[in-house]
Amino acid sequence: MPTTVPVWLWALPPVAVLAVVFLYPLALVVQESLAPGAYAEVLASVSFREALVTTMWLAVASTVGCLVLGFVLALVIAFVPFPGGKAVSKFIDVFLSFPSFLITLALLFLYGTVGMANGIWTDVTGDPAGPFRFLSTPWGVLLAEITYFTPFVMRPLLAAFSQMETAQLEVASSLGARPLRIVRQVILPEALPALAAGGSLVLVMCLNEFGIVLFTGAKGVTTLPMLVYGKAILESDYAAACVVAVVNVALSVGLYVLYRGVSRRAGA
Amino acid sequence: MTSGIRFDGVTVTYGSNTVLDSLDLTVEPGEAMALLGPSGSGKTTALRAVAGFVRPASGRVLIGDRDVTALPPYKRGIGMVVQQYALFPHLKVEANVAFGLKAQKVPKGEIPGRVAEALEMTGMAAYAQRHPRELSGGQQQRVAIARALAIRPRVLLLDEPLSALDAQLRSGMLAELARLHRELPDVSILYVTHDQVEALTLADRIAVMDRARLQDCGTPQDLYRRPRTEFTASFVGNANLLPVTVGAGGVSFEGVSLDVPVSEALPGAGATLCVRPHLVGLGPGPNALSGRIAEVQWRGSTHRLYVEVGGHRVKADVRELRETPPLGAEVTLHFAPDDAVLLSAGVGND
Amino acid sequence: MLVHSRTGRWTAWALFAVLFVPLFALPLLVILAASFSTHWSGAFPSGPTAAHYTAAVRGESLQALTTSLITAVTASVIALTVGTWAALAAAALGKKGRRVLDALFMLPVAVPSVVVGLAVLVAFSQPPMLLNGTRWIVILAHTVLVTAFAHQSVSAAIRRLDPMYEQAAASLGARPSYVLLRVKLPLLLPSLNAAAGLCFALSMGELSATMMLYPPDWTPLPVLIFTATDRGSLFTGSALAVVLMAATLLALLAVSRIRTRASYR
Repeated sequence: MPTTVPVWLWALPPVAVLAVVFLYPLALVVQESLAPGAYAEVLASVSFREALVTTMWLAVASTVGCLVLGFVLALVIAFVPFPGGKAVSKFIDVFLSFPSFLITLALLFLYGTVGMANGIWTDVTGDPAGPFRFLSTPWGVLLAEITYFTPFVMRPLLAAFSQMETAQLEVASSLGARPLRIVRQVILPEALPALAAGGSLVLVMCLNEFGIVLFTGAKGVTTLPMLVYGKAILESDYAAACVVAVVNVALSVGLYVLYRGVSRRAGA
Repeated sequence: MTSGIRFDGVTVTYGSNTVLDSLDLTVEPGEAMALLGPSGSGKTTALRAVAGFVRPASGRVLIGDRDVTALPPYKRGIGMVVQQYALFPHLKVEANVAFGLKAQKVPKGEIPGRVAEALEMTGMAAYAQRHPRELSGGQQQRVAIARALAIRPRVLLLDEPLSALDAQLRSGMLAELARLHRELPDVSILYVTHDQVEALTLADRIAVMDRARLQDCGTPQDLYRRPRTEFTASFVGNANLLPVTVGAGGVSFEGVSLDVPVSEALPGAGATLCVRPHLVGLGPGPNALSGRIAEVQWRGSTHRLYVEVGGHRVKADVRELRETPPLGAEVTLHFAPDDAVLLSAGVGND
Repeated sequence: MLVHSRTGRWTAWALFAVLFVPLFALPLLVILAASFSTHWSGAFPSGPTAAHYTAAVRGESLQALTTSLITAVTASVIALTVGTWAALAAAALGKKGRRVLDALFMLPVAVPSVVVGLAVLVAFSQPPMLLNGTRWIVILAHTVLVTAFAHQSVSAAIRRLDPMYEQAAASLGARPSYVLLRVKLPLLLPSLNAAAGLCFALSMGELSATMMLYPPDWTPLPVLIFTATDRGSLFTGSALAVVLMAATLLALLAVSRIRTRASYR
């Protein structure tokens, strides 16, 4: 009879792989960031502080936008059903599997200086220059992030709504409650865990978003991931890149731990 | 080769919760033993301890002469059938039944014969090429039984095998199981159920469990006619339990003195009298009790009367009445002295 | 049904259409339209052409597509193997061990992809593991990024797997290795397929870490799309983007077909 291998031994190979390809590199980043003077220099620089502020407010604003938009859209799909609603849910799943930068690319055609919106403006008013020139500002990034990340809020919401008892809604409306009241007093409390889970996931993803900002190509919009890329690849200043990276990781891992806690409580 | 099962002071705990409290029980070789009790009584835990899915905190489990307490499930040589069938959905019926044989490396040439034999025995031979999802609940359960029998286990564990079936199918399957038990005299069966009819029909002996403990054990007739505890009396056959006083002048209930056999010397204070509802008659007779009708339920061939006798409700199942007595009507009930059993109060209720 | 009046329902649907169409449907349509055009100065694109596509399936574009496909398939296979192994090992561990393992494998989700790229760049630019400048550094980074998702979906599937199958197999005398091969893995197959599709899609669209790492001879499609749009070739970029989306969709479709055939209940 062969002696059985202890259970924890089976966990070793994958952990070893993870350690070599991820944990050790991450440790090196932390080590590199500890180069003398690196933190002081980076933290004192205006570009870092601006990037930190931009990243934070963009992430928070995008999250709020995604929550509001996602809630309204999911509400209609789930509770005011229409033919093709299933197809819309499928479309959302597909949408999630596309890379984020496609949205920025599309926005260039929609709201770019010679894009669709400005084109229509010119056709209507005769004014050769349209009024839409927000794409290269943080507002363009905000629009792209809300567009791209809203489905991440809708998915857990739709799952939560599908588990809700319609009997509850029917009882509420038979008691004479109006739709807005039902949404506020019955649906919203039930949806809160899903909203919290989806919202914190989106917050983390927005903090880490790179493709959308890169494709915007705006010099005025620098986020922490952009700063990491700029310092490392464009300026070859690895120590500074590592410092920014550590700050970014601390922010998003902290929030991610929060997200896991929230979603575990929500049963997601 | 036959072998029984022995529980030797088996205790199972989950954290600070004792779900099985020092169980001592022996299933004789070839015997069908039912573990009967309400949910949370520890009966399923006892079965899972035999299967090896729970590890006792103390005590031993023996199959035959072999102490299997520390053996992993796959080395125990048991067949098991559970309520939800647990057929492997990705395998056809044939492959499901062959699973145990292949896992135990039975010679390839032998497998088809033994699969056919097991399917034949459960009447499922015609379904060998189906997938489980194409079968009804009853058919799935037959396949599950065939799968357990194919490995020719010494011990067959059945965990509420009929609970997921509807009433009609259940009585058919019950007869099938009784037939299998007759045809396989070498296989010891441990049958967990909360349904007294299943236990009474199938088992050679019944072990009654409640609150993690063995309450009573005996043949079905024995438990039904001469329950030793109040719990057994009410759980098996839903008996009337009347608080009586035992004094020098005999047994009395609500001031009426009764003629019942007093086998043991019982203390002066309390005792419980156990009478089956169907042995209680309407009208005057021995041990007459009068009271008022509190509720009448028509059950087809019988009427169930609830009669208020001095603050206690006495149940009586009588042959269908021509006229339903009105609520509040004064009636007299009676029962034969031999149909009552006197239990000393508190036994089994500690 | 939440809204009972006809007008109320139409109002809700109108609101939905007004929000949904321009935000979600239009962007994809616009890219599709642009990929067939040569000009866009006005309300609608003009100069219909398929030239971008004939270019997209040749030369460096075709090479970028194969680069992306090879990277995505390799990364997905490795990630699925490591992630599944870890998920199975975690499920066998006690509560504490499982939490530690889950947390470790979840970490790459929380760490920004750019930082994963930076970390891999820092670690594998020096001996003994000098991978910088080779395709392997890109594949390695992609593997790290998608392993977390593979692990997450497989461990969720393991949690949903009813232990009764495993127990039924064990009671029939199957040792743990036999149970794993003949019962657990076949039952997990639909989830493994779904996880493979997810990994593939993520890797196909990965840009952040790739931008930090790609060597000139291993340029995945997203990087090519970026360089095209960066130098102003928006229409070529759109055609490449459509190719990327189509390849991703085709792979997802293929995987979901396998999944429906492999789901038993």
